[in-house]
Amino acid sequence: MNHSSKPETFADQVHAIPGGEHLELCYSCGTCVSKCMIQQKVEPEYNPRRLLRLVMMDMREEAFKSPTTWLCSACDLCYSACPQEVHISSVIGAVKQLAVEAGHESPLETVSVDESLCSGCGICVMVCPYEAPHLVEKEIDGEMDRVSEVDTNKCMGCGTCVAACPLGAIARPGVSNKEVRAQIDVPEVDGAPRLVVFVCDWCLRADDDVTLLESYPENVRVIHIPCTGRIDPEMALMALRSGIDGVLVCGCAPGECHYKRGTHVSTCKISLLNRMLDQMSIGDGRVRFVQIGTQDRGRVRNEVDATLKHLAPQKKEAV
Amino acid sequence: MVDASRHPKVDVRTYTEVERVEGFVGNFKVLLREKSRYVHEDRCNGCGECAQVCPIEVPNYFEMNLAPRKAAYVPMSQSVPLIYSIDMDACIHCYKCVDACGELDAIDFGMDDRLVWEDIGSIVVATGFDHFDPSVIPEYGYGRFPNVITAMEMERLNNSAGCTAGNLIRPSDGESPKSLAIINCVGSRDKRFNPWCSNFCCMYGIKNAVLLKQTYPDMDISIYYIDIRTPLKGYEEFYDRAREMGIRFIQGRPSLITENPETRNLYVHSEDMALGQVLEHEYDMVMLNQAAVPQPDVDTVSSVLNISQSPGGWFMEYHPKLRPMDSPTDGVFLSGACQGAKDIPSSVAQGSAAASRAGRVLHSDEWEIEPVVAMVWEDRCISADGKKCGMCSKACPYGAIEYEQGKPAKVVTAKCHGCGGCVAECPHNAITQMHFTDAQILAQIRALLANQPEEKILAFRCHWCSYGGADLAGTSHFDYSSNERGMRVMCSARMDSDFIYEAFRLGAGAVLFSGCHPQDCHYITGQPVGEKRAERLRKQFERMGMTPGRFRIEWISAAEGDKYAQVVNEMQELLDSIPKQKLLQEIEELRPQMEKRARRMREVPQVEEALEFADRLTTAMLNREAEVVE
Repeated sequence: MNHSSKPETFADQVHAIPGGEHLELCYSCGTCVSKCMIQQKVEPEYNPRRLLRLVMMDMREEAFKSPTTWLCSACDLCYSACPQEVHISSVIGAVKQLAVEAGHESPLETVSVDESLCSGCGICVMVCPYEAPHLVEKEIDGEMDRVSEVDTNKCMGCGTCVAACPLGAIARPGVSNKEVRAQIDVPEVDGAPRLVVFVCDWCLRADDDVTLLESYPENVRVIHIPCTGRIDPEMALMALRSGIDGVLVCGCAPGECHYKRGTHVSTCKISLLNRMLDQMSIGDGRVRFVQIGTQDRGRVRNEVDATLKHLAPQKKEAV
Repeated sequence: MVDASRHPKVDVRTYTEVERVEGFVGNFKVLLREKSRYVHEDRCNGCGECAQVCPIEVPNYFEMNLAPRKAAYVPMSQSVPLIYSIDMDACIHCYKCVDACGELDAIDFGMDDRLVWEDIGSIVVATGFDHFDPSVIPEYGYGRFPNVITAMEMERLNNSAGCTAGNLIRPSDGESPKSLAIINCVGSRDKRFNPWCSNFCCMYGIKNAVLLKQTYPDMDISIYYIDIRTPLKGYEEFYDRAREMGIRFIQGRPSLITENPETRNLYVHSEDMALGQVLEHEYDMVMLNQAAVPQPDVDTVSSVLNISQSPGGWFMEYHPKLRPMDSPTDGVFLSGACQGAKDIPSSVAQGSAAASRAGRVLHSDEWEIEPVVAMVWEDRCISADGKKCGMCSKACPYGAIEYEQGKPAKVVTAKCHGCGGCVAECPHNAITQMHFTDAQILAQIRALLANQPEEKILAFRCHWCSYGGADLAGTSHFDYSSNERGMRVMCSARMDSDFIYEAFRLGAGAVLFSGCHPQDCHYITGQPVGEKRAERLRKQFERMGMTPGRFRIEWISAAEGDKYAQVVNEMQELLDSIPKQKLLQEIEELRPQMEKRARRMREVPQVEEALEFADRLTTAMLNREAEVVE
C-alpha cells in the first residue's frame, strides 16, 4: 500500500540515498563491530550496529554526533563478514552525507595544503581513495593560481597524498615529512643489523603483536604510520644512505586495507623502489614489504626475525 | 532399526538406490539398484575377520574422518544388517579377506550391482540433510586452525564409543581442553550461504555444552549466538538449566577467529551486545555449529520421484500448513529434514504422519483426485494421424501424458493434477481440462468484456497464488480499481495465448497475466511454462505497436494483497493516461492481427458453438464414466 501520508523519517532519508537501501536488513548480530578495528584501537564508542539502530529508531541528532558516522573509513572488512550482506559503509556514508548537509563537521585530524608550495599538479587528486582533494582556482598573493583544496569532511587522514606530493606541500599533523624523518635514526647495538620497521596502524590486530614489536632492542626502530600509503620511497633511501641496513614495511593484506587503496599504492611504490635498488646493486632484500592479514596473529615477529637474519651477513658490506 | 529389520512385514534394503520410478499412486513401479557389497548377504555373519586382516586403512566417514577404517568394513558398529562390504576404491586385491573368511565363502570379487523392479504402493522420502562445510567461511579458520572443529566432530570426540573412547582432546596436541567456545549460526541465517535458520542448532549447542559441563565441571564454556531460539516444550527450561550450570552465553556473532601460532590457542573476536564492547577471548578449542543444508543429490532424487524443491533445495510440501507431509505428487510423502531443517520430535511427528498417509494409500482400492483433470479429444490429436507433436507431454510437470507417435496422446488420470498446461500448449485444440474448458473460459471472457471493454482490466489469476492475493486485497479492504475483472484458472500454465488474443480482440483495455512466484508454483514447473508464453506474447504485442503496459505480467503470492491492489491501480493509471480516442484507435488497429492469431477462435467462432462443444465433451465424459461403471 501507499504510505505517502506518513511523514518522512530519518530512516526513509537514509534509505533514499544510494547504498542506504540495505539498512533494514540488519538484525543486529554485532559481526561488523568486532570485525572493525576502530573500537579496539581508537574509539570505544565506535559501533556501526548501534548507528544503524539509531537510524532505524529515528534518532537523527544522536546519529550525527556518533563517532561511528565520522570514523568509518569504508574499508569494507565488515561487509565481507556481514551475514545479511548489508553494505554498512554505504549506510554510514549516507548518514554522513545527511550530517554534512545539516551542517555538522568531521572531527577527524585531516591533511592540510600549503598553498604557497602547491603547484596544482593534481597527483593528490589521483591517489586519494576518498576523493577529498580537488583543484580550485584561487587568488594567492594577489595572483590567480590553481591549487589543491581538501574537503575536510571527506579526508580520513591516511597520508597517501602526503607521500605522493612531489613538492611536500601537504602535511598531516603527527606524520609530516619532518616528523617521520626525525625518527629514522637507529643506534648501533652489538654489531647487530640496524633495521627500520614501518608499521601501519591497522595491520596488527592483536595487542600482543604491538607490544612485542616494542620489545626489540634499539637496533630495530619501529615507526608507526597511519597507512603504508604514507610510505615515501625517499624515506627508505634516506635510511639506507644513513647506514641503516634494511627497511621493513608492514601493511594490511590486499582487500583489507583500512584506507581502501593504501596497500595497493605502497605495493607499487616498493616494487619500483626495489627495481631501482637492484640497478644500483644494493637491492637484495634490503627493503621488504609484507602484507599481514587479519588472521596472521604472531606473523610480524617472524617477519622481523627473518629480515634481521637475512641482513646479518650483509652487515659489513657498505651500502 | 533392529526391530524393524526383524519385522516380518518390513523389508529393509540398505546400500540400495532408487534409479527410476514409474506409474502413479498405488501402482508405482520402482527400479532399485542393489549395490554390490562384494560380500554375499546371506552368507556373511558379521564376524569381522576380513576387516582384521585387511591391510588397507582409509578415513572413516562415520567418525568424521578422525579415525581410520579398513577397506573391508561396516559403516558403524550398529549397522543393520551387520554385513561387511569391500570398498573397491581402496582395495588392493590382496585377497587376505577371502582367506580369512574361509569356509563361509561370503566374499565374492566377481559380484555386480543388481537391478530389481518392485511394485510399490506409496513412497516415503526420508533422505535427511547434510552439514554445511564451514571451511568456506575464511574468518572462522576451519581447516586452517586444527583446534577449530565442527559440531559433528565434537560429537565423535565426546562419544564413549567414538574414536577417542570419549576422551575429549585437542587435535593439535592431544591435550584435554580447559575452555571451549561454541559458535552458533555457522553458515545459517547468512545470506552469503544459507538464509534459513537451521532450527535445531541452538538446542544442539546447549546440549553439547551441558554434556561437557557434566563430564568436565571445570571447563569454561561459552556459547556465541545471534538469538537463542528455544520455542518448543521444555526447551526454555533446558536453556535455563544450562545458564545455571555456569555456561556463559554471549550475544554477538563472532567476526573472526585467530590463532596463537605457538600455543595453538584460539582467540574469538566478537561484540558482547550487553556490554556494547568488542571482546577477544582466548579458548583452547572452538566448536562450530554448522548449518543444516539439503543433501547434495536432491536434484537427482527430485527428478527420479518427480517432486519439486523449495528455494534452497529442500523438498516442497503440498501445503505448508495443511499438508506438510505430502509431496505435490500423489502417493509420495515427505518425512523429516529432507523437507526442511527440523529436530528429532518434529521429524518423528512428521514421519508418523507420513507413514499413516502412506498406509491410507495401501488400504484403499480407490483414490480420490481433484476433478479438474485433462482429457484428450482423440479425433483431434494429430499424433493419431502419425504426425510428430508431443507438446502436451513436454508441458506436463507430472509425466502424466503418454505420448507415442501414431497413437493419440493419453492422459493417465491418476497422475494428472489439473494444472492445464497441456491444454494451453496443444496447438490443435485436442486437449481440454474438466471444469476449465476453453468454452467455459471463453464464455467468461466474453461476458466480462461485454460492455465497454476498453475500460476494463481483465486479470487472469492462478488459483493458488494470485487469486489468493486478490482475495486478500479484498478482505484487507485495499482499494483497487473497480474496472478490474478477475478470472480464475488453476495455473498460469493454463493461460492460453488465445485467451489473451481473444480478450484484446474483444477490445479489452488491459490484460493482467498473474501467477505464483517462480519456485512457488503449486504444479512444480507450471509457472515457467506460463512465464515463457507470457514473455513471448509481450514481445509480440510490442512489435505490433501496442502501448507497453496494456499487457502486464506479474507474479503475486497469496500473501501479497497490497501488491495485487498496487498492480491493478498502476494499470488503471496507465489506462487513464491514454486518451480514449487513441486507445479505441489502437484497439481497432490491432483487432485484425488478434483475429488472425486467435486461430482457436476460427475453429470455435461463436460462444454458442463453444458451448455446444462443451456439451459434447460432457456427454463423452458421461459415456466414458458409464463404461467404467459397467
